[in-house]
Amino acid sequence: MLQDKIKAALAPLNLEKVADGDYAKTGYHLEVAAQPEQMPQVAQTLLDTGCFLESLTAVDLGESFTMVYHFANFFELCRTVVHAALPKPKGMPSISKVYPGANWYEREVFDMFGIHFFGHPDLRRILLPDTVDYHPLLKSFAGDPWK
Amino acid sequence: MEMITRGIEEKTYTLNLGPQHPSTHGVLRVLLEMDGEFITKADPDIGYGHRAHEHMAENRNYHQFLPNLGRLDYLHALAYNHGYCMAVEKLIGVAPPERAEFIRVITNELNRIASHLLWFGAYLLDLGAFTPFLYCFDDRENILDLLERVTGSRLTYCYYRFGGVPLDIDDDFIAGARAFVKRLRSRWSDYDNLVTKNVIFIHRTKDVGVVTKDQCLQYGLTGPMLRGSGIPYDIRKVEPYSAYPLFDFEIPVGQNGDIFDRYMVRLAEMEQSLRIIEQALDKLPNGPIMAEKVPKRVKPAEGEVYQAVEAARGEFGCYIVSQGDIKPYRIKLRVPCFANLSVFPELAVDTLVADLVAILGSIDLVIPEIDR
Repeated sequence: MLQDKIKAALAPLNLEKVADGDYAKTGYHLEVAAQPEQMPQVAQTLLDTGCFLESLTAVDLGESFTMVYHFANFFELCRTVVHAALPKPKGMPSISKVYPGANWYEREVFDMFGIHFFGHPDLRRILLPDTVDYHPLLKSFAGDPWK
Repeated sequence: MEMITRGIEEKTYTLNLGPQHPSTHGVLRVLLEMDGEFITKADPDIGYGHRAHEHMAENRNYHQFLPNLGRLDYLHALAYNHGYCMAVEKLIGVAPPERAEFIRVITNELNRIASHLLWFGAYLLDLGAFTPFLYCFDDRENILDLLERVTGSRLTYCYYRFGGVPLDIDDDFIAGARAFVKRLRSRWSDYDNLVTKNVIFIHRTKDVGVVTKDQCLQYGLTGPMLRGSGIPYDIRKVEPYSAYPLFDFEIPVGQNGDIFDRYMVRLAEMEQSLRIIEQALDKLPNGPIMAEKVPKRVKPAEGEVYQAVEAARGEFGCYIVSQGDIKPYRIKLRVPCFANLSVFPELAVDTLVADLVAILGSIDLVIPEIDR
């Protein structure tokens, strides 16, 4: 089974948490927690097991961010979520060398949260114009800039 | 002397395509670096239609966010309604009754056909064929009339609610849907004769814009972009939801991953959707259309949920983080075209501008969905 295969492949990385998820409740088969520095290795491992990157985003928790990576597989149902706690104002290693598709997702996270991605080939804003100086999905963002 | 050296160095030039260009389907701008007639680098510039949906979600309660979903991918709005409603239903532990699930499937598939028909017409318009557009809009109009009966709108639907649907379908809708299935079936041969067997169309699309299986994996492509390359990944089958496991249908796949295969996949998908609608109408159960215990004030417990559904363009994923408040703490909308367009710079290299337009159209872009 793919779930066991991923678990076995992730075992040598000494991650914080690799546990079965509650699929009926959350939609995850596998829940993983990793350190930010481990993320490129985790991504490489998941790519080697044939998983694709479904989504990449961040959640602003005030003191810190949680980076959230969703992976799924084309042939077998197994959604893996990877959470990485990221203290502010630290940056995140980029996984765009592993998954070229992460390039745009990371640009979006940079655009919306201002999180810097080390090793990203082209870290520019993607949705907002280059001229703005705010990151709108931060909880500290006041909202309407025209108010 | 200076003039001559400059001439040698500047072998390439920049061409600006869009944002107001009919072939970019909305407001997409592509910066092209051209070597003569060939493209050496393409850089899509998105965000012209950014309306901050994710930020809006954090500032309103769960019910108030419902109308936003129809304004992402307005062509297949019901799939987005569905994904969001299912995600919230999971959070609050409510399951819609069987009849509501059937109605959701029927309306969803009708909407999918409408979306594919619009792509079919608009795409051939991109390639310079005007007639197919008139045929498929004639057909699509029937779907819009049907959906208007139950949802109240012809575009940007907001029809599903947490725990079911607010309005039941009536006998006229059922009769109309059956008539439409029959009508569209009789049209396939016209479409084939008009387009599929058209030599110009075949030359424009065969072996152009080939997406490899490796690219699918690396970029996380979904939908017809992926299935055109021969990977049978359809969330309705792989991760069955709603009433889809009850119906018999197939996942059409291509072989080469070129534009022609994507075209064939979409045409075949419409036929499969017709099959689903037919079966759902036959098996439609009686009963309530709304779950009994749906809280008026949605206030889920702390937690998070990811729900994926198959939209016309690929996987729509709704990721909700709740912190026990009446407002969602964070909503991430994973939209298919964002990933599907990110592979475009790789596809565009060494093609002609005319082919570039053909490739862009074959991704089936809906810009408001990419920009959110």
